[in-house]
Amino acid sequence: MAETFKRYRCTFCGQEYDEAEGWPDDGIAPGTRWEDVPDDWYCPTCGAEKADFEMMEIG
Amino acid sequence: MQIPTHLAQTIVDSRAYAAGDPVDDAFRTIRAEMPLAVAEPEGMEPFWVVSRHADIMTVEKQPEVFHNGDKSTFLTLKEMEPMVRFITGGEPNLVRSLVSLDGQEHKDLRAVVFPSVTPKALRGLEDDIRKIAKAFVAEMLEKAPECDFATDVAFLYPLRVIMTVLGVPQEDEPFMLKLTQELFSSADPELNRDRKEVNPAEALDGLRRTMEDLEAYFGVMTEKFRANPTDQVNSLIANAKVNGEYLNRRQLMGYYIIAATAGHDTTSNTTAGAMWALAERPHLFEQLKADPGKVNAFVEESIRWVVPVKHFMRSATQDTEVSGQKIKAGDWMMLSYQSANRDEAVFDDPFEYRIDREPNRQIAFGYGAHVCLGQHLARMEMRILWEELFPHLKSIELAGTPQRTISNFVCGPKHVPIRFTLN
Repeated sequence: MAETFKRYRCTFCGQEYDEAEGWPDDGIAPGTRWEDVPDDWYCPTCGAEKADFEMMEIG
Repeated sequence: MQIPTHLAQTIVDSRAYAAGDPVDDAFRTIRAEMPLAVAEPEGMEPFWVVSRHADIMTVEKQPEVFHNGDKSTFLTLKEMEPMVRFITGGEPNLVRSLVSLDGQEHKDLRAVVFPSVTPKALRGLEDDIRKIAKAFVAEMLEKAPECDFATDVAFLYPLRVIMTVLGVPQEDEPFMLKLTQELFSSADPELNRDRKEVNPAEALDGLRRTMEDLEAYFGVMTEKFRANPTDQVNSLIANAKVNGEYLNRRQLMGYYIIAATAGHDTTSNTTAGAMWALAERPHLFEQLKADPGKVNAFVEESIRWVVPVKHFMRSATQDTEVSGQKIKAGDWMMLSYQSANRDEAVFDDPFEYRIDREPNRQIAFGYGAHVCLGQHLARMEMRILWEELFPHLKSIELAGTPQRTISNFVCGPKHVPIRFTLN
């Protein structure tokens, strides 16, 4: 069974990245795992870098 | 639940913010006993006081439910509202800026400057900002053994940085500083337009005249940047188009004004407050000298500590709930960052200045769609200043009593007299 999609949250503004939804506006397709999001992608709300996101608790 | 009158009066009182402790004491009681309750200070429309960190995040995560611009975006007297609407042709805010916009208009306008203020974009400015920091440090060191760190450094360095980023000539900086202080300090007789005690109507008239000066100045700038575009922020604003049209006059002026004023006053307040804290805590300075890598933690704690924007207001667009409390459509709400940054549920020893908070969940820049556009620039310029200054200093202490601006909105220390020795 495929691993559950995870969500990540920007520590600066709270913007969430949901692996299930991706970020199509930036060319990141739904289903894109966090590790496959390009390292130079940045938070679309505040500009923080990928390293500034943290994994959210499930549930 | 209704907040007792004496507490409601304190949390809107500009002089209580200048004093400091009365506001912190009031919010400590409010967080403990009535964390989401209604205040009705004299002369104001009643509003919910959102005092807890978690509740502010809840509100700020729902920008469609809680609007910025349907009512005044900051505390204002009931008698002012009709005057502001008269001046603006029906709008509740004198300045139509990012902090008072909602929906698509907010998204469109925010997108104009956003690419220029990401950490990635700002890395290209690091060397230029460091040069500015070195110049101000050199000036300060020449004043040894004493200076007013607020007026000699903290007000001027962030101003030079933001004016460079915006594309405002250096010779216009005193003019911009004066108008910014007038805009944010209408209750302070030392800094307001008329340099005297004023009643609310006089204060509004002073603000209107300050706005006229700003609009005249930026009107010329628009023409200049449309004729000769650059990559500076004011040029991006002047040349921005939404759906093929230039921004309208209110949008343009609001954008210039928010970028030029909020872009340095908040950082100035935080920088001055950080030095005040340091001068009172020799152990903290020793910690920073022993481990310069702690400078980012120092910057973050100084933002939590000073909270340069004390509050913003929201209004509910529909009936809703926050933490089980029913809120009705049209209700006005005060998001108190001053209170949230002292929230005992989030911060250990919230009334202590500590650089070992990891992570430091301070919320002074707001949260969600309206999070401060310049937050990364603010952090970077403060870090660079301290990196340049600390290696020169052996000791710092207060050389008098610091004073805060008399204001309940964007404010902080206006005088921080220090005595320092050099290495």
